[in-house]
Amino acid sequence: MGIFLKDISLKGKTALITGATKGLGRGAAEAIAEAGGNIIAVGRNQSELNSLGKKIKKLKVKYTSFNCDVNNYNKIKNFITNLKKLDILVNNAGTNIPENFLNVKKTSLETLLNVNTKAVFNIAQLCANQIIKLKRKQGSIINISSIFGLVAGQKRTVYSMTKFGVEGLTKGMALDLAKYNIRVNSVCPNIVLTPRTKKYFSDKKYNKYVKESTPINKVVTISDVATSITFLASEASSMITGTSIIIDGGWTAK
Amino acid sequence: MYLQKINLKNKYALVTGAGKGLGKACSIALAEAGATVIALSRTPSDLDKLEKQIKKIKGKIIKVPCDVMDYEDLKKKIDKIKIIDVLVNNAGTNIPEPFEKVKQKSMNYLVDLNLKAAFNVAQLVVKKMLKNKKRPGSIINMSSQLGHVGMSGRNVYNMTKFGIEGLTKGMGVELAKNNIRVNTVAPTFVETPMVKKFFKNKKFINKMLRNIPLGRVAQESDVATAVAFLAADSSEMITGTSLVVDGGWTAQ
Repeated sequence: MGIFLKDISLKGKTALITGATKGLGRGAAEAIAEAGGNIIAVGRNQSELNSLGKKIKKLKVKYTSFNCDVNNYNKIKNFITNLKKLDILVNNAGTNIPENFLNVKKTSLETLLNVNTKAVFNIAQLCANQIIKLKRKQGSIINISSIFGLVAGQKRTVYSMTKFGVEGLTKGMALDLAKYNIRVNSVCPNIVLTPRTKKYFSDKKYNKYVKESTPINKVVTISDVATSITFLASEASSMITGTSIIIDGGWTAK
Repeated sequence: MYLQKINLKNKYALVTGAGKGLGKACSIALAEAGATVIALSRTPSDLDKLEKQIKKIKGKIIKVPCDVMDYEDLKKKIDKIKIIDVLVNNAGTNIPEPFEKVKQKSMNYLVDLNLKAAFNVAQLVVKKMLKNKKRPGSIINMSSQLGHVGMSGRNVYNMTKFGIEGLTKGMGVELAKNNIRVNTVAPTFVETPMVKKFFKNKKFINKMLRNIPLGRVAQESDVATAVAFLAADSSEMITGTSLVVDGGWTAQ
């Protein structure tokens, strides 16, 4: 900690991360642990939860995992309301089913609204209540949004609907939770190369579309996003709330 | 492996308006992150004070006394600098007046300093950065929450800071191919010498705090840390955007 430069440090803090086994969630869990934070990982794949645990424990922080579907409200509620420590939520679990607007299936619409909107809301509400109940002096919630929370993209109507929603939720939560000193922000990455998006990048046309849409000639990495998440989680950003860090190589500046 | 620290070792960072307030805080924060600070200010005595502070933390500083509104002198001084990796385009001011009473003199001054000089500094620095192609560049234009929303009595300031947001996006898109990132930091009211005089007015501060959901004004360190984050490679895919440090003001 300098005079004017604040450290990205999470020593003594506890962070719950949903969708923690893969991609961005896993990166966020590791980055937060690297900053000294204890990790509560929520995911659906037990062997991946175990392998993440091995990596996290090497960083000498505490690790708890919970095998649960974020849409199982009662199960996740029971878990969160019994937590003894909680300062940070990385509200990450989310999915995407790219389909042309005219052909969007009812089941895809249902899935995206359940995972990206309802579960995101429910987990945020449960965690905020728990942070308040535990009388923590400060809290930080980071909702994982997307550039498609700010602009539209091809075959992304439902995804955009849910991510624009996350942007609205973030601002609203920030206002309601400011009096408890709980900050709420989002990160809006461009399309990050993760296990889930790998298949999009193997499509030549899609690859070209992403490349041509991104002024910086690089793909966003998990590390780029995880670093911003950790910055928002820490007191280095103690006056930042109700806003988004856009990590898109200039996509939305055009 | 996933967390990139705010590290500016071996970087040269030019800061304008470095003598006071936010510019001074940014200079110190960048030095704390390891950068050599090239500090520009009109007032040599302010630079001397800054030098003392930076030396105290074992930081490195090069002092450049210069008025950013004097283009010829600015050009000469920037020409002499060998390497610039980071620009904190900070020099700026505010003269609050009701719209119908804004004086020509204040309007001209704000446009000349907040827009014209900011543009000129950025252009001269980019020319310098383009000569060192292998070094990635990062430019942080000092904006304000009033670059995103309006406020009574701040019409001209609004105009200039919205302009800075526009300049930032234009530069961000255009310079991406040259590995130069361009962003703004948009703070709410910060406890600086420039703003402190407004704080003496109880009515003003109460009204202001009602507009900041977190219920407190920003500290210089809040803004300086955001600037350092954008300056470092920890934000290497962030360009053409704005980091809003406003305690929720613009979320409403």
